[in-house]
Amino acid sequence: MRLCLAVLVLFVAVHCRKLDFWTHPVSTELPIDIHVPYSSLHVTKDFLQDNKIPFSVMINNLQDLLDEEQEDLQINNIKECNAKSFDFGAYHTLEAIYSWMDTLVSDYPNLVSKMLIGTSYENRPMYVLKFSTGGTKRPAIWVDAGIHSREWVSSASTVWMANKMATDYGVDSSVTSLLDQMDVYLMIVNNPDGYVYTHTNDRMWRKTRSKNPGSVCRGVDPNRNWDAGFSGPGASNNPCSESYHGPHAHSEIEVKNVVDLVRSHGNFKAFISIHAYSQLLMYPYGYVCTSIPHQAELDSVGRSAVQALSSLYGTSYKVGSICKIIYQASGGSIDWSYDIGIKYSFAFELRDTGRYGFLLPASQIIPTASETWLGLKYIMEYVRDHPY
Amino acid sequence: MHRFCSVCVVLFSLVWPCLVQPQTPTSQPLGLTSLHEGNCSCALRLHHTEPTSQEGLVMTSRELNPQFYEASRAGRVVQHHLNTLYGSPFRVYVVTQVHTARTEDTGDDGMKYVLEFSVKDWASEGPECKASAEVLYPRGDVHQPPKVQSSPDGLLQANTSDKEQAFYQRYSAAAGPVSAKDIPDSYGHIDPEMEHFWHLAWVASSFIMLNESSENTLYSLAQVAKVTQLNIQDGQLRFELQVLLHDMVSQNINRWKLQVSWSPADGVQVLEMELLPRCHCKSQTRP
Repeated sequence: MRLCLAVLVLFVAVHCRKLDFWTHPVSTELPIDIHVPYSSLHVTKDFLQDNKIPFSVMINNLQDLLDEEQEDLQINNIKECNAKSFDFGAYHTLEAIYSWMDTLVSDYPNLVSKMLIGTSYENRPMYVLKFSTGGTKRPAIWVDAGIHSREWVSSASTVWMANKMATDYGVDSSVTSLLDQMDVYLMIVNNPDGYVYTHTNDRMWRKTRSKNPGSVCRGVDPNRNWDAGFSGPGASNNPCSESYHGPHAHSEIEVKNVVDLVRSHGNFKAFISIHAYSQLLMYPYGYVCTSIPHQAELDSVGRSAVQALSSLYGTSYKVGSICKIIYQASGGSIDWSYDIGIKYSFAFELRDTGRYGFLLPASQIIPTASETWLGLKYIMEYVRDHPY
Repeated sequence: MHRFCSVCVVLFSLVWPCLVQPQTPTSQPLGLTSLHEGNCSCALRLHHTEPTSQEGLVMTSRELNPQFYEASRAGRVVQHHLNTLYGSPFRVYVVTQVHTARTEDTGDDGMKYVLEFSVKDWASEGPECKASAEVLYPRGDVHQPPKVQSSPDGLLQANTSDKEQAFYQRYSAAAGPVSAKDIPDSYGHIDPEMEHFWHLAWVASSFIMLNESSENTLYSLAQVAKVTQLNIQDGQLRFELQVLLHDMVSQNINRWKLQVSWSPADGVQVLEMELLPRCHCKSQTRP
């Protein structure tokens, strides 16, 4: 009787004092669990004590427990986020890209490794992602992006393509056979000092950030600094110029680090530099307008690669030598690579053709990367199938 | 460093500020024929003259590869020209492709390029149309702007007059003057409210880009650094703009300040333009 009364009173109490029953009264054998809001705490306790209804406190402060749980959830989310939900459709800081590199390596430890190839002028690490399924100095393909720091979509696309290549290995037969025979070296940010500067100071910065003695102007155009027709036409000897070639070839540490790696490796079969903008796929030379010995072959490979690229969204690209398509430019990376014997040397200029220019909307990153991947993949497959 | 700053400011201020008169058609108004292709009705066939000889001088004509840079640069000049004549906050032209190109060396007058190309208005997503034009790059020690042969009559235009009127009314009556910067921003984003000011800046910049063009330039608008609305004058909306213009050939980006007027009836006019010095001096704190 008394119990029934107590239960009745409690039910009334629920309506009046907003008690939250976690387990409802079903039998005299079973306890009832009640969530008591703080405002009702003392009244409820008094009521239970007055009516000699035994109780014990299971959770002293529910909110604390909820807060702790939420914190744990967030930490776990972040851990998961890092690995799986990096936003490929956004432009990232250098730190974020470098952090993502680590997660890629930890996700694909048997395929991808991160190599420190040196530091930049301002002492930032320069990393290359090496895709390799084994062997020793297998024939390799070099791909670099972001040598000109304002060309953000080139690094952003290469991040996507790195991820694509990693996920396609073992799934796509062509990528699998490529990586079973050859190594691929991807340098995502070839000019880290410049890249940081475009985030912190000047979105339109192009060059390195080295100091030029005797000048107020900083930086050298890293794509005029290679030993290929160095200081010839199409480069400036004025440190204030955007195309300043620097005091001597390979004066820029960012260039020298790559030169040293490629030379000491000695077995690169392709060298591809990715830039933006103009929608072009080019082969050497830039420093002279005469045709290279392999002109016909590279032109044909380029046209087929562009056909593959355009198949996705109809984006149109032009194909030709640097000197004829865009301008005469000395000291360029793919001229250097061609001249040291790396036959399959190409340069991409990605989207667009000037409407947004360097400020390509982030919404175009993944479409750009996806179509470029088809073109790049064609070239890599061709290189795989034409050993020399 | 201070002295270098002063020198560079003085040098630029001596050379660059100028008043630009509204563009007038060149002395030889040419007829236009309507060119209907499918559902694309373009009235943009710009006649080219047959090669003529001057005092017995034989014209040297050279066929160009339309994919190569000479043709691309001349096509870009035509684009700038079209925008100065017909551009608006709702109409911005792009030469999408050059189909054929040849040069004619006219001797003292300069180098003439004769082009067939495709053009489209990307601001109103208009159709792509074929057209032809001539570009003459004058010779001489002092730079002169290229001349493009065209006529203002009966030109291809998407019907944007309602939108233009609405835009004009809105900003004539706006409570406060418009003011914005960095269009697009670093991430390529443009506030929808600012899109038509971006178009306006493209058109206004075309006057500068046309003036500055040579056989060795390829200009685009890299970014609108600032746009500030000024008081209406003579029924024209007026704005002060600072724009960053990118030349692909030198890779330089130059900052220009310009004063622009626009109304649906009178189109875009550039009233003043000035190249701002690019000073590399570190700023010094003052006591």
